[in-house]
Amino acid sequence: MDTLAEAIRLVAAPDVLIAILLSSIYGLVIGSLPGLSATMATALLVPVTFYLSPIAAVATIISASAMAIFSGDIPGALLRIPGTPASAAYTDEAYAMTRKGQAELALGAGLWFSAIGGIVGTISLIVMAPALAEMALQFSTFEYFWLAFLGLMCATLVARSSPVKAIASMLIGLLIACIGIENPAGTPRFTFGITDLLGGVEVIPALVGMFAVSEVMRAMVTPDPPPMPRRKFGSILKGQWELTKKYVAPQVRGNIVGIIIGVLPGAGADMAAWVSYAMSKRFSKEPEKFGTGHPEGLVEAGASNNASLASGWVPSLLFGIPGDTITAIAIGVLYMKGLNPGPTLFTERASSMYALYIIFILANILMIPLGILMIRAASHILRAPRAAVMPVILLCCAVGPFATGNNLFAVMSVAFFGVLGFVLERNGYPVAALVLGIVMGSMVEQNFVTSLIKSDGSLLPFFDRPVAAVLAAMTIACLVWPIGVWAHRRFFRRQASVAPAG
Amino acid sequence: MHLSDRFTGPFLIALGALAAYGGSRLPPVPGQQVGPNVFPMVVGAGLVLCGVLIALGVGRRFEEEAEADLAAHENPPPPEEARHGRWYGLRALIPPALLVFYYFAVDRIGFVATAAVMALVAAKVLGASWRLALPLAALAPIGVHFLFYKLLRVPLPAGLIPLPW
Amino acid sequence: MAAFTRRGFIAVGAAAAGAGLRIGPAGAQGAYPSRPITMICPWGAGGGTDATARIVASLLEKELGQPVNVVNRTGGSGVVGHSAIATAPADGYTLGIITVEISMMHWQGLTDLTPASYTPLALMNEDPPGVQVPASAPYKNVKELADAIKAAPPGKMKASGTGQGGIWHLALVGWLQAMGLKPDHVAWVPSNGAAPAMQDLAAGGLDIVTCSVPEARAMIEAGKAKALAVMASERNPAFPNVPTLNEELGINYSTGAWRGFAGPKGLPQDIATKLTAALKKINESKEFRDFMAARGFGVKWADAQGFADFMAAGDKQMGEAMKAAGLAKA
Repeated sequence: MDTLAEAIRLVAAPDVLIAILLSSIYGLVIGSLPGLSATMATALLVPVTFYLSPIAAVATIISASAMAIFSGDIPGALLRIPGTPASAAYTDEAYAMTRKGQAELALGAGLWFSAIGGIVGTISLIVMAPALAEMALQFSTFEYFWLAFLGLMCATLVARSSPVKAIASMLIGLLIACIGIENPAGTPRFTFGITDLLGGVEVIPALVGMFAVSEVMRAMVTPDPPPMPRRKFGSILKGQWELTKKYVAPQVRGNIVGIIIGVLPGAGADMAAWVSYAMSKRFSKEPEKFGTGHPEGLVEAGASNNASLASGWVPSLLFGIPGDTITAIAIGVLYMKGLNPGPTLFTERASSMYALYIIFILANILMIPLGILMIRAASHILRAPRAAVMPVILLCCAVGPFATGNNLFAVMSVAFFGVLGFVLERNGYPVAALVLGIVMGSMVEQNFVTSLIKSDGSLLPFFDRPVAAVLAAMTIACLVWPIGVWAHRRFFRRQASVAPAG
Repeated sequence: MHLSDRFTGPFLIALGALAAYGGSRLPPVPGQQVGPNVFPMVVGAGLVLCGVLIALGVGRRFEEEAEADLAAHENPPPPEEARHGRWYGLRALIPPALLVFYYFAVDRIGFVATAAVMALVAAKVLGASWRLALPLAALAPIGVHFLFYKLLRVPLPAGLIPLPW
Repeated sequence: MAAFTRRGFIAVGAAAAGAGLRIGPAGAQGAYPSRPITMICPWGAGGGTDATARIVASLLEKELGQPVNVVNRTGGSGVVGHSAIATAPADGYTLGIITVEISMMHWQGLTDLTPASYTPLALMNEDPPGVQVPASAPYKNVKELADAIKAAPPGKMKASGTGQGGIWHLALVGWLQAMGLKPDHVAWVPSNGAAPAMQDLAAGGLDIVTCSVPEARAMIEAGKAKALAVMASERNPAFPNVPTLNEELGINYSTGAWRGFAGPKGLPQDIATKLTAALKKINESKEFRDFMAARGFGVKWADAQGFADFMAAGDKQMGEAMKAAGLAKA
């Protein structure tokens, strides 16, 4: 109990509370700007944390990242421009709801279920951190290979278009992920002698180009959409309770999947959202409604990505292994502040650990009121003239990706991906699948190659380890599914056309 | 910009073939059974296969069904695209062109001037009146500059118009 | 540590206020430095190099009385930032932190930059590679491990710690060669850095990880791994129980990942001298020492000439190791 009291005292310090509040607002604003992501929000905070006390420093990272992951949903729902790769999974869905006049329901679901997911994730962190960490350590490169492959397959399940085109789009993403020297062989590939391509194509410029710039491009050639029904923006939390009761199973599933994926190093909120959205569609009673403005997938994926955010801290705090890009930055800050990750953090500095838990919960609770204010403020965008909104988005598209590495090449990448995204979208290729390909590509290859090196070239361990075998079966099922459906339909259609004749 | 599957399919075949060829020329790495050449070759082969399927029209039906589903659930039907001249579609290239302009201009004339040009052009193309476009071009760059330069410490070049912060 | 942990928001306010003033008329006395200095870091925010750059920048600011702003210039696996430092105007207002990669990348033909492309100012840090094995491994010391390596057929044992051709890979190659073995006698499993490698070590997928001991610290403390030796000339004061290779095997092999500060080639002599003197004071300061100890980074000092010699020697050593491993471009 003493440690708990000490933890509360640590959090209640004025500098910590101010840090939580300010970084929450900061996270909400940055996450909601198209072209800026949760990872970037965290990276830009590093110089600030330098001047803060250890607890306040970590508090800024926790609050800002949780808020930014949620508020990445805002531009996704309002403008069809996802703020983070995680929200890319369900952007079309949320935007379809907005077009139906249900923006508040869509954003409210994002907010409400993000907060719940975040709190459930935190509880999992408190109760089961050591057990979860042990589980994460059971994952070797064989399991990771299947996991990454499964994540890629989700792209084809989610897409509301031809599975062939979804796979083609994903393959283009994988091809882009080949660029650079960050491959298992350490050999420069497809760099065409351009130094800036050595490090590979970064996800943020690709994401910004594919979604934000291509949206601005679309605005250039389409007439103003019919104005949204002019009415007062309804209550944001109204209806969330009904959704909570209606979609119990998806929520629980989302939380569990989020926690598991979050704990696994290298697989973060992005993958959690994708896998959960795909699962939601597979297990839904009304999968045909997905993509047309149906909240079920938002519930599951929203819960999942925030749950993964909290559980992503488990391997970081216990072993110093980052769960995702955000905790990778957070680990640097932890070290800088003398809160060195490791089991001793849980024993010798237990009060600091409890303080972190409290901050997690506090941030997720604070998310609801601040999120409502943010949604209200952002909803004015729906009424602002498009000719005023789009130019500002374009400026953010230039500056945002530049800000992460202060490298102008990022601006060129954004322009390139804008054109690519626009052309693909026009021709029925789902761009989200391509982004997933870029995110997951190196993970697939890295784990495949290293697994083969470790098994001296034998493919057997990919199937005979228990967890790997289960993941392999799931992956192959996903792979076969579209072909099965196609063959099935084809068969029945032939029967149907034969029947009247006979 | 809508291209037929009979065009995108062969394009993917060509891209996949190039990737596989490019990959196959990468040297093997000592100590690795699977070298840097394998992954691009597998991806390239996959692209070729997808390209063939797309060119043959496999999977078209899914798209048509998806579009029908979407149309059934969408309240206001998407507006018919208005008739425009044959160069109208090229307007889509203005945003990436403005980003390329940013790339070349920002270090010479500074952030505020570059951003003002971008905002003005984008707003005018989108049909804004001068009364909207001019204030936007004047204020938006300053706002963005304040947010990024002052609050986030992103080193944006000052150029022609240095701001007082 | 205490010196800058409890300053809280007052410091942020002060920094913000200071930033507001810094565009004001620069004192044009002619004495260097008369305006803010930019410190380029070729690696991303939040990493070890970024942290080192930021602590040194904040202390340099006190020494020189001008703001020193750290700017992360990432991309191209470090090439972009390193080349930004080398090509900046040689006026002392753009400096940078350079890392061991500068003595490696040119051998692979990835860049024309070499240590000679800079005006070296000071070497501030070096982290030697360690030899980590799973906690359950039967070897009690590095001698038993070395015997097991020699007894094993080539390629049977697996090691990791970084990507193919990365610093910890070359450390292994150098060690194997010093033992009279082939560079690929222990197979190298490339990984995305030390943390995933340590995870795989704990998961039982690897036999050895040759990252630095501080990088492995969390796993060692968690009882998942143990450090058998460091490839350095002396023990790390933070880990006094880990012996050197020389003590245990009589192999005098040492290498390491280092970080130092440099300016573009042709920096005026008086400016370089002044900066080196300031960096020497920082290197000896309690704040810097405490910070490096807290992160487990090794403190090292070499002045401009010492740093130049150090880089030249390291460059040659890296070139040999990379040629032996077949990593260098012919």
